[in-house]
Amino acid sequence: MSARLIRRKLASQIFMVVCGIATLIALTALVLILYTLVTRGIGGLNLEIFTQDTPAPGSPGGLRNTIVGSVMMCGVAMIVALVVGVLSGTWLAEIGGDTPYGHAVRFLNDVLLSAPSILVGLFVYQMLVEPFHGYSGWAGAVALAILATPIVTRTTEDILNLQPNALREAGMALGGSQFITIRKVIWKAAGTGLLTGGLLGFARISGETAPLLFTSLGNNFLDLDMSHRMGALPIAMYNFALSPYDDWNKLAWVAALLVALAVLAVNILGRWLARDKSGH
Amino acid sequence: MSEEKILHKSDPFDPVFRYVAFAAATLLMAVLGGIVVSLLIGGWPALSKFGLNFFISTTWNPVTDVYGGAGPIVGTIVSSLLALAMALPIAIGIAVFLTQFAPKFISQPLSIAVELLAGIPSIVYGMCGLFVLAPVFAAKVQLPLVMALSNNPDSFWAKLVYGVPNGANIFTASLILAIMILPYMSAVFRELFRSIPPQVREAAFGVGATPFEVITGVIIPYVKKGMVGVVMLGLGRALGETMAVTFIIGNSHGFPKSLFDSGSTIASTIANEFNEASGLHTSALLALGLVLFLITFAVLALARALLSSQRY
Amino acid sequence: MSTDTTSPDFKSVITPPPADSLILEARGVSFFYGTHQALFGVDMPVRKNAITALIGPSGCGKSTLLRIFNRIYDLYPGQHAEGEILLDGENILAPRVDVTALRARVGMVFQKPTPFPMSIYDNVAYGVRLHQSKSKSEMDELVETSLRRAALWDEVKDKLHKSGLGLSGGQQQRLCVARGIAVNPEILLLDEPASALDPVSTAKLEDTLEELKRDYTIVIVTHNLQQAARLSDYTGFMFLGKMIEFGPTEELFVKPKVDKTGDYIGGRFG
Repeated sequence: MSARLIRRKLASQIFMVVCGIATLIALTALVLILYTLVTRGIGGLNLEIFTQDTPAPGSPGGLRNTIVGSVMMCGVAMIVALVVGVLSGTWLAEIGGDTPYGHAVRFLNDVLLSAPSILVGLFVYQMLVEPFHGYSGWAGAVALAILATPIVTRTTEDILNLQPNALREAGMALGGSQFITIRKVIWKAAGTGLLTGGLLGFARISGETAPLLFTSLGNNFLDLDMSHRMGALPIAMYNFALSPYDDWNKLAWVAALLVALAVLAVNILGRWLARDKSGH
Repeated sequence: MSEEKILHKSDPFDPVFRYVAFAAATLLMAVLGGIVVSLLIGGWPALSKFGLNFFISTTWNPVTDVYGGAGPIVGTIVSSLLALAMALPIAIGIAVFLTQFAPKFISQPLSIAVELLAGIPSIVYGMCGLFVLAPVFAAKVQLPLVMALSNNPDSFWAKLVYGVPNGANIFTASLILAIMILPYMSAVFRELFRSIPPQVREAAFGVGATPFEVITGVIIPYVKKGMVGVVMLGLGRALGETMAVTFIIGNSHGFPKSLFDSGSTIASTIANEFNEASGLHTSALLALGLVLFLITFAVLALARALLSSQRY
Repeated sequence: MSTDTTSPDFKSVITPPPADSLILEARGVSFFYGTHQALFGVDMPVRKNAITALIGPSGCGKSTLLRIFNRIYDLYPGQHAEGEILLDGENILAPRVDVTALRARVGMVFQKPTPFPMSIYDNVAYGVRLHQSKSKSEMDELVETSLRRAALWDEVKDKLHKSGLGLSGGQQQRLCVARGIAVNPEILLLDEPASALDPVSTAKLEDTLEELKRDYTIVIVTHNLQQAARLSDYTGFMFLGKMIEFGPTEELFVKPKVDKTGDYIGGRFG
């Protein structure tokens, strides 16, 4: 082997090792974060977390009001996001996606998809909180819906574009209208994919804190009326983590663990559904 | 029933459906437009009162109602760029390792793990920064450095690490940001590398190139534009991130004077002050929001343009 | 004569070139994609400074065999080859063989044109720069010679520093040939190089190969029987992962020794 070849091979080996080390560094950092999350959160996890409301510092309590608030606001947000997102995604894929207007919608949807979430909070504050003189669960749900809709729109368009044209032609050839073809053939064929889009959207919003700070604000009591201030897990994390009280800090970690587990579960479910579809 | 009638039989819901779908798509645009307009209207009083000073002054004083946003604006840009500088080489390293070197039984589970980690809410990263990184950093890095350099306070290094040794500063904030965007960036880089047709890789190996030469000479140039796009997307995330930063940047409004000085970003300032603000203070925060929107919009638009021109 | 290729005692019918003219020889080569076996004890001699063609229906293993000759399959974990392939008497399947050095000696041109994302000049110079340091003028000269030999020089001499991706499909493929011969390999492997090209570009490419065989040894996989007959000196006919018949092209096409070969050439299957 020539000296040149030895040198080249050595450079390649070193490069491989450097890439391996980069992977190792990143893995270590991320494992440390997961480790912190689990060790600090798991100790406080008990039944009271789900049955009692957030306490005053120094007294026992749980996270029931924030869990219920998060579920309700995310639920409403997802219903809105699915309806608007699937419709607009369908419009982009099946009707107007190739027009200049369609290109504009697609581009701005991408912008909205990665816009800073705190700005969405400011927007909803100005639209729904300030004019109506009050923070509310509805405002929080709207803010979350604005964050989830672009994701659903994007995945819907992507999934529908994957459906073969033959399917559309076959549907139309049987005498079905465009609406019937889309509803009974295209949406049905793309079903799991659409669900995956919904799950991705849900995973994104369930941990969002910034947009809720100025919209639902948080509430230390269980209140099922969405026109009132409403608690949410991420807000509890924010307030409790920044507080000087140990027991509140502990609750913040429990909340973080709960949210992370939920996001993880939803992501895994989404992957599993997607694989089930593409596999065979 | 005549032939013609059958041909013209149409579903009355067809046009309705089209209009509803069109309205949904339009709603998305309206929301984005609404965000811009509401920030502009809300921020106008502050912008018109302070004019250019809003962008170049570092005086941010709610008591005297004087607002200059240069501190948070610079803090946003500096912390994001620092985070990018830390995350980028590692993200590329991971993507290269996973797509080019690691055997399948390692790369597959690792890739899935990386993608799952990309979904962890950013506030969790912020909490880890506050509770774990900050104390460790203060005790093990900041204090020893300050002590070591204390007899020579005017040296470049002493100035670089100047700051209250509590671990909450621009550097640690950037580090947390970097860790936060790392899974996302490496996942997208990985996708990009995987999109390269296998015959290009084979051809490069076919002339007798080593893996290093194939990756740096052919694979990376092949997706150059796309990679810049990914960098921009990562930068966009870092710029707009609130929760990972707010916990650990120290929240002071001046220019950060050193790497280890406390600072603020636009997002952290808004998160900290908006609920307590009123009048001109609110307007100044909304104006900051507008600045953040414009910066991220420019970065994202560039990213999209670069990514969509990368077709194979 | 038995043509039952599925029987275990099946024997290939090989009419080898003179023993002292061989540069490469495959002996009993088997190949596995994971657990799926794609080649079954294939023998194939390759004559120096000649064009050897591999023909057979799709999926017969001809491309697989070609990809073993420079061990490009090494890129994919799970694929492995057994048997031996002698290059100048050395077994290239041996584990200690350096594949990087091997691939500099055995070049390859692929089915689809694969120009690298760089200028035409840099495409040709890419491989050379890896293996040797050359002065600017030496490199200029080498690039020009390689492009001339690939019959591309006249078409690109005014735009050497434009991207190689801007060329037409046929030009891109000849650029890949130029890139392959610039490193001065002993053997050039071509995997259906004309399948994505129009007839005019194909004719140009064939002329190029005809020229090149004076200095290089060429092994070409093709699904185009006319091309094999026009171009090659020796032809191997493969079927179901086995070498059915190998011999001088004229003999194999005019009076094949195995019925199966005659059936394929006569268009009765495939």
